[in-house]
Amino acid sequence: MSEQTSELRKKNIVVALLLAAFALLVFFTSIPFWTGIFRIVGNQAGG
Amino acid sequence: MSTTTLTHDDAHHHETPTGWRRWLYSTNHKDIGTLYLLFALTMLFLGGASAMVIRAELFMPGIQLVDPDLYNNLVTNHALIMIFGAVMPAAAGLANWMIPMMIGAPDMALPRMNNLSFWILPAAATMLILSFVVPFFPGGGTQINTGWTLYPPLSIQVGMSMDFLIFAIHLLGASSILASINIIVTLLNMRAPGMKLMQMPMFCWTWLVTAFLLILVVPVLAGGVTMLLFDRHFGTSFFDAAGGGDPVLFQHLFWFFGHPEVYILLLPSIGVLSHVIPTFSRKPLFGYNSMVGAMLAVATIGMVVWAHHQYTVGMSLGAVTYFMIGTIIISIPVGLMIFNFIATMWRGAMTFETPMLFAIAIILMFTFGGLSGVMLAVVPADMQYHDSMFVVAHFHYVLMPGAVFGLFAGVFYWLPKWTGHMYDERLGKIFFWTNIVGFNITFFPQHFLGLAGMPRRIIDYNVMFTEFNVLSSFGAMIFGFSHLLLLYIVISTIRGGQKAKARAWEGADGLEWELDSPPTFHTWEVAPTIK
Amino acid sequence: MCSRFKETMGFALASSGLLGATGSQAEYGLNFVEPAAGVAQEIYDIHMMTMQVSTVLLLIVFGIVFYSLYYHRKSKGFEPDQNFHKSWFGNWSWVIVPVMVLGVDLTIASKADAVLKKVWVVPEGEKLMDVKVTGHQWWWEFDYLDHNIKVESRYIPQEKSEDLYLREVDNRLLLPNNTKVRFLHTSADVLHAFWVPALGFKKDAIPGYVTETWADLDREGVFRGQCAEICGTWHSRMPIVVEVVSQDKFDNWLEEQNQIKVAALAEASAGKTWSKDELMAKGEELYNTKCAACHQVSGLGLPPAFPALKASPIALGPVAAHLDIVLNGKEGTAMQAWGTMNDLEIAAIMTYERNAWDNNTGDVVQPADVKQAR
Repeated sequence: MSEQTSELRKKNIVVALLLAAFALLVFFTSIPFWTGIFRIVGNQAGG
Repeated sequence: MSTTTLTHDDAHHHETPTGWRRWLYSTNHKDIGTLYLLFALTMLFLGGASAMVIRAELFMPGIQLVDPDLYNNLVTNHALIMIFGAVMPAAAGLANWMIPMMIGAPDMALPRMNNLSFWILPAAATMLILSFVVPFFPGGGTQINTGWTLYPPLSIQVGMSMDFLIFAIHLLGASSILASINIIVTLLNMRAPGMKLMQMPMFCWTWLVTAFLLILVVPVLAGGVTMLLFDRHFGTSFFDAAGGGDPVLFQHLFWFFGHPEVYILLLPSIGVLSHVIPTFSRKPLFGYNSMVGAMLAVATIGMVVWAHHQYTVGMSLGAVTYFMIGTIIISIPVGLMIFNFIATMWRGAMTFETPMLFAIAIILMFTFGGLSGVMLAVVPADMQYHDSMFVVAHFHYVLMPGAVFGLFAGVFYWLPKWTGHMYDERLGKIFFWTNIVGFNITFFPQHFLGLAGMPRRIIDYNVMFTEFNVLSSFGAMIFGFSHLLLLYIVISTIRGGQKAKARAWEGADGLEWELDSPPTFHTWEVAPTIK
Repeated sequence: MCSRFKETMGFALASSGLLGATGSQAEYGLNFVEPAAGVAQEIYDIHMMTMQVSTVLLLIVFGIVFYSLYYHRKSKGFEPDQNFHKSWFGNWSWVIVPVMVLGVDLTIASKADAVLKKVWVVPEGEKLMDVKVTGHQWWWEFDYLDHNIKVESRYIPQEKSEDLYLREVDNRLLLPNNTKVRFLHTSADVLHAFWVPALGFKKDAIPGYVTETWADLDREGVFRGQCAEICGTWHSRMPIVVEVVSQDKFDNWLEEQNQIKVAALAEASAGKTWSKDELMAKGEELYNTKCAACHQVSGLGLPPAFPALKASPIALGPVAAHLDIVLNGKEGTAMQAWGTMNDLEIAAIMTYERNAWDNNTGDVVQPADVKQAR
């Protein structure tokens, strides 16, 4: 396979790291964030 | 994870590796695609075997074959193996094989991460299978008897097998997130010069949306099961009402993942259909733009309607009304997709090879499943349907045509490209008919069972439910064993057969058909020019 | 059986579409059972409405697809219309189709919304009869809050229930006809779901939550249902039977229950010392209804989830420790607290467990001992 140019390579890695950071963000915020949303949705018993 | 790609090493790429090294160290998208597909095929048979035991047990009233805990265990592992082991890896396999070839890229953007995301899977599958078998060893604790939804407090009661399962889910999630990142980066950065996003083949579009959905929702599932793990072992009480927690919170977290997951399973197959139907209708896909728009709409609305899986937990009137209307609204973009497929067939010159037969069956049966989905969305009626066999029938009518048959269509469609051989068309058609007939005999009667009052996930039932269960189990045997024919067709096509042309199908269009069948080990080393 | 099987086959093959408006009441059931409450009737009607709309749409889609499959095929020499997607229809279908689907959606949603309001919200400012429904692994407890009466409801083994196996219970939920009943759902252990199709609704029983549903009963009869949320090993063995009777009959039944309750209380608190044989006889009966679902009639349990009592260190060990587990349950296991039973019942069960199945400790636990341990 033809080697990726260093420019493309850098671009790929940057996008990948951004996406990974986003996934981690979703993971770590899932707990408090969804607990909060769930309260707003308003269960009869109050959440 | 992605730091592994930082070490630079270009010696690898120019030799053609052989033996086990070719597979274990592979960074070639075609080989990794093959690995994914073979893995998925293996898991299809494992998950299918548990389904066959379930149907055999339900063949007659009474408890004949397995004890209730083993039955619940099988119900759980059938779902998890099929979803995480069979359908998702199979779709990832198609993506690995086809996306670089379709967009004129030499390989995936991050080949070594690609290797990692596949090789996590066998480890995860081992953990998953262990979670179902450890209870049979001395001291292994109780079996997982919760169903794939893992609702606490029942999942808190389960023994150590639940911990295996939680870690298996973490691993599977890590694997799909890595694969998704790779696919997104490939689609964004590696397209042949001149190919705009709105010129991408539809399969690429569906995977772009799927991959985004995956990195949005899989971490939430990971968060949910992590909380479950903490509740089980570290004294927290996220889901324990006695400790101030809330058992329903887990359901929200689970279905926030679980509902988009349906679209994750569905969209790649929609992508396959968007290639199969134009090919065999000999005219271009009807409504490319509206297809992309519909898909984005499905993904967006699909993210915010999760609670229709839990109408019966006692939400406020306002909440259920919102979720009901949101869910019904989804029929608009989905209807548009179906419409576009039918309009592609309309005034075409159709021929009926196996992939096309599957595509037509998908349109018909997926419409059926979608309409029973609209019925389920209606809250008052769902108070009856919920957790009954009607739901089982509904989601099999959505997921089998929507996901699995789409993958079958893709496999038959691209098998000539991958192997360089045409499969035996006569056998393909026999497989199609036994498969479809078996499927309908299995799941159609389950609608009646549900309406008449049979709950899902029960091992034993009253004699009033006998007739339809007998029929359903009878169909399941046809359906289950028909997959042996699939296995035979795949193996014999790999081993030989009529040589396939580069453009294996008369009406096929796209960059992948400009490559040889089978393609050389490295393709598009020089990017093609886009007209 | 065999002839019914053929009939079924015939029917399933004949009914290739959805059901249509047949509303069949055949023994094996093709549609919802006949409703027994006003809310259930509403639910039944919206179900039929959406099903009919779905059937019509399905027929339209099938019609178009099959037309196309027949005429637009290469073997008929049909030339593909390469410009179809560029026609006015191709350009505007992305608006036309969603608008049409939206029309169908609104039809369904507006009707559904009206029904939802009625069935979802318990009417306020009216006299309702309150019944608290508690799910247990694996039986139901019905608490008549207005009358201070509790009913425990368990499945009946196949030998006794025969054709009604898994649809019949020892104590039914008796309700008076022409009454509005509010059901308060909760659970003592894991999730369960109360589902009696004739009443029209299903509701989860969630530990720590009380959720409510209601029904305006309008028909006498026996209505059967089952637990609908997976709750562990014997999920299939949690039938629910509601019997709707006339107000007179219901009042008589209440009176009867009250007398039984008073008698039982008097017996338990009489301070009498019981003989071992009396306790063993009482204990066996109680054990087989309350404990045998998990620990089994044979006392062998279903390890590892449900330990054996036969030759178990607890049943053979000190009375105090054994009593503590029975009264307060054991944390982290499925063993619940049984403290709601009266002293006599617990004493009888304890005596039975310590002497049955060759356990032969010879211990006799008296109600007074239990009272002291509470």
